[in-house]
Amino acid sequence: MTLLRIEGWHAWAPGLAGEAAWRAWAQAPRALPDDGKEQPACEFLPAMQRRRLSRLARMTMEAAWPLCGEGEQLPFVFGSRHGETPRTFALLGELADQQPLSPTQFGLSVHNAIAGQWSILRGQRGESVALAGEADTFEHAVLEGAMQLAAGAPAALVAVAEELPPPAYDGWIGDVPFSYAVALRLGRVEPSMDTSADARWRLRLAPAAGAAAPAPWPHALDFLRALLTGQDTLEHACKTRQWNWQRPG
Amino acid sequence: MTAREPTALEREIAQLVIDTLNLEDLAAADIPPGQPLFGEGLGLDSVDALELALALQKQYGIRIESDAKDARSHFASVASLAAFVEAQRDACAN
Repeated sequence: MTLLRIEGWHAWAPGLAGEAAWRAWAQAPRALPDDGKEQPACEFLPAMQRRRLSRLARMTMEAAWPLCGEGEQLPFVFGSRHGETPRTFALLGELADQQPLSPTQFGLSVHNAIAGQWSILRGQRGESVALAGEADTFEHAVLEGAMQLAAGAPAALVAVAEELPPPAYDGWIGDVPFSYAVALRLGRVEPSMDTSADARWRLRLAPAAGAAAPAPWPHALDFLRALLTGQDTLEHACKTRQWNWQRPG
Repeated sequence: MTAREPTALEREIAQLVIDTLNLEDLAAADIPPGQPLFGEGLGLDSVDALELALALQKQYGIRIESDAKDARSHFASVASLAAFVEAQRDACAN
Protein backbone atom coordinates (compact mmCIF):
# COMPACT_ATOMS: atom_id res chain seq x y z
CA MET A 1 0.00 0.00 0.00
CA THR A 2 1.26 3.44 -0.89
CA LEU A 3 0.04 6.77 0.36
CA LEU A 4 0.98 9.93 -1.51
CA ARG A 5 -0.13 13.41 -2.38
CA ILE A 6 -0.64 14.77 -5.87
CA GLU A 7 0.96 18.19 -5.43
CA GLY A 8 0.49 19.22 -9.03
CA TRP A 9 -0.32 17.98 -12.50
CA HIS A 10 0.16 19.16 -16.05
CA ALA A 11 -0.70 17.44 -19.31
CA TRP A 12 -0.60 17.81 -23.06
CA ALA A 13 -2.46 16.16 -25.93
CA PRO A 14 -3.18 17.37 -29.48
CA GLY A 15 -5.53 20.34 -29.30
CA LEU A 16 -5.65 20.15 -25.52
CA ALA A 17 -3.44 22.52 -23.57
CA GLY A 18 -4.14 24.34 -20.35
CA GLU A 19 -6.01 23.46 -17.20
CA ALA A 20 -9.46 24.58 -18.41
CA ALA A 21 -9.24 22.41 -21.53
CA TRP A 22 -8.22 19.38 -19.47
CA ARG A 23 -11.00 19.94 -16.94
CA ALA A 24 -13.49 20.03 -19.81
CA TRP A 25 -11.98 16.84 -21.26
CA ALA A 26 -12.22 15.14 -17.84
CA GLN A 27 -15.93 15.93 -17.68
CA ALA A 28 -16.55 14.55 -21.17
CA PRO A 29 -13.58 12.41 -22.23
CA ARG A 30 -13.28 11.80 -25.94
CA ALA A 31 -10.70 10.58 -28.41
CA LEU A 32 -8.72 13.51 -29.81
CA PRO A 33 -7.75 13.84 -33.47
CA ASP A 34 -3.98 13.35 -33.78
CA ASP A 35 -2.26 14.07 -37.08
CA GLY A 36 1.07 12.88 -35.68
CA LYS A 37 2.53 16.33 -36.27
CA GLU A 38 1.06 18.76 -33.76
CA GLN A 39 3.49 19.19 -30.91
CA PRO A 40 4.01 21.59 -28.01
CA ALA A 41 6.04 24.70 -28.84
CA CYS A 42 8.20 24.40 -25.68
CA GLU A 43 8.94 28.10 -25.95
CA PHE A 44 10.51 28.06 -22.49
CA LEU A 45 13.57 26.62 -24.28
CA PRO A 46 15.84 28.45 -26.75
CA ALA A 47 15.64 27.04 -30.29
CA MET A 48 19.17 25.63 -30.11
CA GLN A 49 18.11 23.51 -27.12
CA ARG A 50 14.87 22.41 -28.74
CA ARG A 51 16.53 21.10 -31.90
CA ARG A 52 17.10 17.57 -30.61
CA LEU A 53 13.79 17.14 -28.84
CA SER A 54 11.54 14.61 -30.53
CA ARG A 55 7.80 15.01 -30.44
CA LEU A 56 7.54 12.68 -27.43
CA ALA A 57 10.35 14.58 -25.69
CA ARG A 58 8.59 17.89 -26.31
CA MET A 59 5.36 16.48 -24.94
CA THR A 60 7.17 15.26 -21.84
CA MET A 61 9.01 18.58 -21.33
CA GLU A 62 5.80 20.53 -21.82
CA ALA A 63 3.98 18.43 -19.21
CA ALA A 64 6.74 18.22 -16.61
CA TRP A 65 8.35 21.67 -16.97
CA PRO A 66 6.04 23.75 -14.74
CA LEU A 67 6.03 21.13 -11.97
CA CYS A 68 9.69 21.60 -11.09
CA GLY A 69 10.73 24.89 -9.57
CA GLU A 70 13.83 26.81 -10.62
CA GLY A 71 16.76 25.51 -8.66
CA GLU A 72 14.81 22.53 -7.35
CA GLN A 73 16.34 19.05 -7.58
CA LEU A 74 13.67 16.35 -7.93
CA PRO A 75 13.82 12.65 -8.81
CA PHE A 76 12.36 12.10 -12.28
CA VAL A 77 10.45 9.03 -13.43
CA PHE A 78 9.72 8.70 -17.14
CA GLY A 79 7.20 6.05 -18.07
CA SER A 80 6.23 5.01 -21.57
CA ARG A 81 4.97 1.61 -22.61
CA HIS A 82 5.77 1.97 -26.29
CA GLY A 83 8.37 4.71 -26.43
CA GLU A 84 9.07 6.51 -29.67
CA THR A 85 7.48 4.20 -32.19
CA PRO A 86 7.58 6.75 -35.05
CA ARG A 87 11.34 7.15 -34.60
CA THR A 88 11.94 3.41 -34.25
CA PHE A 89 9.87 2.71 -37.34
CA ALA A 90 11.74 5.34 -39.37
CA LEU A 91 15.13 3.94 -38.30
CA LEU A 92 14.05 0.39 -39.13
CA GLY A 93 12.91 1.61 -42.54
CA GLU A 94 16.32 3.15 -43.20
CA LEU A 95 18.05 -0.05 -42.11
CA ALA A 96 15.81 -2.07 -44.44
CA ASP A 97 16.71 0.30 -47.29
CA GLN A 98 20.40 -0.02 -46.36
CA GLN A 99 20.59 3.71 -45.77
CA PRO A 100 22.96 5.18 -43.19
CA LEU A 101 21.26 6.05 -39.91
CA SER A 102 21.08 9.58 -38.61
CA PRO A 103 23.54 9.80 -35.70
CA THR A 104 21.13 12.02 -33.76
CA GLN A 105 18.14 9.76 -34.30
CA PHE A 106 20.14 6.66 -33.46
CA GLY A 107 21.76 8.26 -30.43
CA LEU A 108 18.41 9.29 -28.99
CA SER A 109 16.66 6.01 -29.73
CA VAL A 110 17.07 4.63 -26.22
CA HIS A 111 14.27 4.60 -23.68
CA ASN A 112 16.08 6.81 -21.18
CA ALA A 113 16.98 9.51 -23.74
CA ILE A 114 14.12 11.78 -22.67
CA ALA A 115 15.00 11.43 -18.97
CA GLY A 116 18.57 12.34 -19.94
CA GLN A 117 17.42 15.38 -21.90
CA TRP A 118 15.30 16.44 -18.91
CA SER A 119 18.32 16.23 -16.61
CA ILE A 120 20.45 18.28 -19.02
CA LEU A 121 17.83 20.94 -19.78
CA ARG A 122 16.77 21.35 -16.14
CA GLY A 123 20.21 20.90 -14.58
CA GLN A 124 18.99 17.89 -12.60
CA ARG A 125 21.79 15.90 -11.01
CA GLY A 126 19.73 13.38 -9.02
CA GLU A 127 17.92 10.14 -9.72
CA SER A 128 16.11 9.50 -12.94
CA VAL A 129 14.39 6.33 -14.07
CA ALA A 130 12.91 5.30 -17.43
CA LEU A 131 10.27 2.57 -17.30
CA ALA A 132 8.40 0.55 -19.89
CA GLY A 133 5.71 -1.77 -18.59
CA GLU A 134 2.41 -3.02 -19.85
CA ALA A 135 -0.95 -1.21 -19.89
CA ASP A 136 -0.29 -0.33 -16.22
CA THR A 137 3.01 1.42 -16.89
CA PHE A 138 1.41 4.48 -15.26
CA GLU A 139 0.90 2.68 -11.93
CA HIS A 140 4.42 1.26 -12.00
CA ALA A 141 5.78 4.74 -12.66
CA VAL A 142 3.81 6.23 -9.77
CA LEU A 143 5.01 3.39 -7.54
CA GLU A 144 8.59 4.19 -8.55
CA GLY A 145 7.98 7.84 -7.71
CA ALA A 146 6.53 6.84 -4.34
CA MET A 147 9.65 4.78 -3.65
CA GLN A 148 11.75 7.87 -4.32
CA LEU A 149 9.66 9.66 -1.68
CA ALA A 150 10.16 6.76 0.71
CA ALA A 151 13.89 7.00 0.07
CA GLY A 152 13.85 10.57 1.31
CA ALA A 153 12.99 12.82 -1.64
CA PRO A 154 10.72 15.73 -0.63
CA ALA A 155 8.83 15.40 -3.92
CA ALA A 156 9.13 13.41 -7.13
CA LEU A 157 8.11 13.97 -10.74
CA VAL A 158 6.38 11.25 -12.73
CA ALA A 159 5.84 11.80 -16.45
CA VAL A 160 4.01 9.26 -18.57
CA ALA A 161 3.95 9.87 -22.31
CA GLU A 162 2.83 7.90 -25.34
CA GLU A 163 2.87 8.74 -29.01
CA LEU A 164 0.33 7.59 -31.56
CA PRO A 165 2.16 4.76 -33.36
CA PRO A 166 2.58 4.58 -37.15
CA PRO A 167 -0.18 2.57 -38.92
CA ALA A 168 2.22 -0.39 -39.26
CA TYR A 169 1.65 -1.06 -35.56
CA ASP A 170 -2.13 -1.41 -35.98
CA GLY A 171 -3.16 -4.69 -34.44
CA TRP A 172 -0.23 -4.70 -32.02
CA ILE A 173 -0.67 -1.45 -30.14
CA GLY A 174 -4.24 -0.81 -29.04
CA ASP A 175 -3.90 1.39 -25.99
CA VAL A 176 -2.77 4.70 -27.47
CA PRO A 177 -5.88 6.36 -28.91
CA PHE A 178 -3.93 9.62 -29.34
CA SER A 179 -0.61 11.06 -28.24
CA TYR A 180 -0.54 12.35 -24.69
CA ALA A 181 1.74 13.26 -21.82
CA VAL A 182 0.68 13.45 -18.19
CA ALA A 183 3.04 14.68 -15.48
CA LEU A 184 2.38 14.48 -11.76
CA ARG A 185 4.29 15.98 -8.90
CA LEU A 186 4.13 13.53 -6.00
CA GLY A 187 4.59 14.59 -2.40
CA ARG A 188 4.89 12.74 0.85
CA VAL A 189 2.00 12.45 3.27
CA GLU A 190 3.16 13.66 6.66
CA PRO A 191 1.05 13.06 9.79
CA SER A 192 1.01 16.81 10.42
CA MET A 193 -0.57 17.50 7.04
CA ASP A 194 -4.31 17.37 7.25
CA THR A 195 -5.29 20.47 5.35
CA SER A 196 -4.91 19.04 1.89
CA ALA A 197 -6.77 15.76 2.22
CA ASP A 198 -8.17 16.21 -1.29
CA ALA A 199 -4.77 15.71 -2.85
CA ARG A 200 -4.11 12.44 -1.05
CA TRP A 201 -4.37 9.08 -2.77
CA ARG A 202 -3.81 5.52 -1.64
CA LEU A 203 -2.58 3.02 -4.23
CA ARG A 204 -3.04 -0.69 -3.55
CA LEU A 205 -2.01 -3.64 -5.66
CA ALA A 206 -4.05 -6.83 -5.38
CA PRO A 207 -4.30 -10.00 -7.48
CA ALA A 208 -6.90 -9.55 -10.20
CA ALA A 209 -9.97 -11.72 -9.77
CA GLY A 210 -10.63 -13.16 -13.20
CA ALA A 211 -10.47 -11.26 -16.46
CA ALA A 212 -11.23 -7.59 -15.84
CA ALA A 213 -12.22 -5.17 -18.57
CA PRO A 214 -9.46 -2.84 -19.70
CA ALA A 215 -9.71 0.78 -18.59
CA PRO A 216 -11.71 3.00 -20.98
CA TRP A 217 -8.72 5.33 -21.40
CA PRO A 218 -4.98 4.92 -20.98
CA HIS A 219 -4.38 4.65 -17.23
CA ALA A 220 -2.59 7.98 -16.86
CA LEU A 221 -5.44 9.81 -18.62
CA ASP A 222 -8.06 7.88 -16.70
CA PHE A 223 -6.38 8.79 -13.41
CA LEU A 224 -6.25 12.44 -14.47
CA ARG A 225 -9.94 12.25 -15.29
CA ALA A 226 -10.68 10.87 -11.79
CA LEU A 227 -8.41 13.47 -10.19
CA LEU A 228 -10.13 16.37 -11.96
CA THR A 229 -13.70 15.20 -11.50
CA GLY A 230 -13.39 14.52 -7.77
CA GLN A 231 -13.88 10.78 -8.18
CA ASP A 232 -12.89 8.94 -4.97
CA THR A 233 -11.97 5.51 -6.26
CA LEU A 234 -10.56 4.06 -9.43
CA GLU A 235 -9.73 0.50 -10.43
CA HIS A 236 -7.29 -0.45 -13.15
CA ALA A 237 -6.70 -4.08 -14.01
CA CYS A 238 -3.88 -5.46 -16.10
CA LYS A 239 -3.39 -9.22 -16.47
CA THR A 240 -2.89 -10.57 -12.94
CA ARG A 241 -2.67 -7.14 -11.34
CA GLN A 242 -5.51 -5.10 -9.91
CA TRP A 243 -4.59 -1.54 -8.97
CA ASN A 244 -6.95 0.19 -6.56
CA TRP A 245 -6.77 3.95 -6.27
CA GLN A 246 -8.62 5.56 -3.40
CA ARG A 247 -8.79 8.96 -1.77
CA PRO A 248 -8.51 8.17 1.92
CA GLY A 249 -11.56 9.45 3.80
CA MET B 1 32.90 37.52 -41.42
CA THR B 2 32.21 38.28 -45.04
CA ALA B 3 29.68 40.89 -46.08
CA ARG B 4 29.27 39.70 -49.66
CA GLU B 5 26.06 38.20 -50.96
CA PRO B 6 25.92 34.42 -50.53
CA THR B 7 26.10 32.30 -53.67
CA ALA B 8 23.21 30.02 -54.63
CA LEU B 9 25.12 27.00 -53.34
CA GLU B 10 25.84 28.76 -50.05
CA ARG B 11 22.16 29.59 -49.61
CA GLU B 12 21.29 25.98 -50.38
CA ILE B 13 23.79 24.69 -47.83
CA ALA B 14 22.58 27.15 -45.18
CA GLN B 15 19.06 25.80 -45.73
CA LEU B 16 20.38 22.23 -45.54
CA VAL B 17 21.98 23.06 -42.17
CA ILE B 18 18.68 24.46 -40.89
CA ASP B 19 16.56 21.56 -42.16
CA THR B 20 18.98 18.84 -41.12
CA LEU B 21 19.58 20.17 -37.62
CA ASN B 22 16.01 21.32 -37.02
CA LEU B 23 16.95 24.95 -36.32
CA GLU B 24 13.34 26.06 -36.36
CA ASP B 25 13.78 29.76 -35.61
CA LEU B 26 16.39 30.40 -38.33
CA ALA B 27 16.21 31.24 -42.03
CA ALA B 28 19.04 30.71 -44.53
CA ALA B 29 19.71 34.48 -44.52
CA ASP B 30 20.44 34.26 -40.77
CA ILE B 31 23.58 32.19 -41.40
CA PRO B 32 26.12 34.40 -43.19
CA PRO B 33 28.52 32.30 -45.32
CA GLY B 34 31.51 33.34 -43.24
CA GLN B 35 30.00 32.76 -39.80
CA PRO B 36 31.66 29.95 -37.84
CA LEU B 37 29.20 27.06 -37.56
CA PHE B 38 30.68 25.54 -34.42
CA GLY B 39 31.51 26.83 -30.98
CA GLU B 40 31.14 30.56 -30.58
CA GLY B 41 29.48 31.04 -33.98
CA LEU B 42 26.19 29.32 -34.67
CA GLY B 43 26.85 27.01 -31.71
CA LEU B 44 26.77 23.59 -33.35
CA ASP B 45 28.53 20.60 -31.76
CA SER B 46 30.15 17.33 -32.80
CA VAL B 47 26.88 15.41 -33.17
CA ASP B 48 25.66 18.16 -35.51
CA ALA B 49 28.85 17.69 -37.53
CA LEU B 50 28.11 13.97 -37.99
CA GLU B 51 24.53 14.75 -38.93
CA LEU B 52 25.63 17.40 -41.40
CA ALA B 53 28.20 15.09 -42.98
CA LEU B 54 25.46 12.53 -43.56
CA ALA B 55 23.15 15.14 -45.09
CA LEU B 56 25.91 16.42 -47.42
CA GLN B 57 26.63 12.85 -48.43
CA LYS B 58 22.96 12.22 -49.23
CA GLN B 59 22.34 15.51 -51.00
CA TYR B 60 25.55 15.91 -53.01
CA GLY B 61 26.82 12.35 -53.18
CA ILE B 62 30.15 13.33 -51.66
CA ARG B 63 32.08 11.29 -49.17
CA ILE B 64 33.71 12.85 -46.15
CA GLU B 65 36.23 10.60 -44.49
CA SER B 66 35.98 11.00 -40.74
CA ASP B 67 39.76 10.76 -40.38
CA ALA B 68 40.47 13.33 -43.07
CA LYS B 69 42.79 15.92 -41.59
CA ASP B 70 41.04 18.78 -43.30
CA ALA B 71 37.48 17.75 -42.35
CA ARG B 72 37.55 20.31 -39.56
CA SER B 73 38.39 23.15 -41.91
CA HIS B 74 35.73 22.08 -44.44
CA PHE B 75 33.12 22.37 -41.69
CA ALA B 76 34.21 25.79 -40.45
CA SER B 77 31.47 27.75 -42.20
CA VAL B 78 28.83 27.62 -44.92
CA ALA B 79 31.36 29.21 -47.29
CA SER B 80 33.99 26.52 -46.64
CA LEU B 81 31.39 23.76 -46.99
CA ALA B 82 30.29 25.25 -50.32
CA ALA B 83 33.90 25.38 -51.51
CA PHE B 84 34.37 21.75 -50.44
CA VAL B 85 31.21 20.62 -52.26
CA GLU B 86 32.36 22.47 -55.41
CA ALA B 87 35.80 20.89 -55.21
CA GLN B 88 34.34 17.40 -54.80
CA ARG B 89 32.00 17.95 -57.73
CA ASP B 90 34.91 19.09 -59.90
CA ALA B 91 36.96 16.10 -58.79
CA CYS B 92 34.13 13.75 -59.73
CA ALA B 93 33.63 15.46 -63.08
CA ASN B 94 37.26 14.92 -64.09
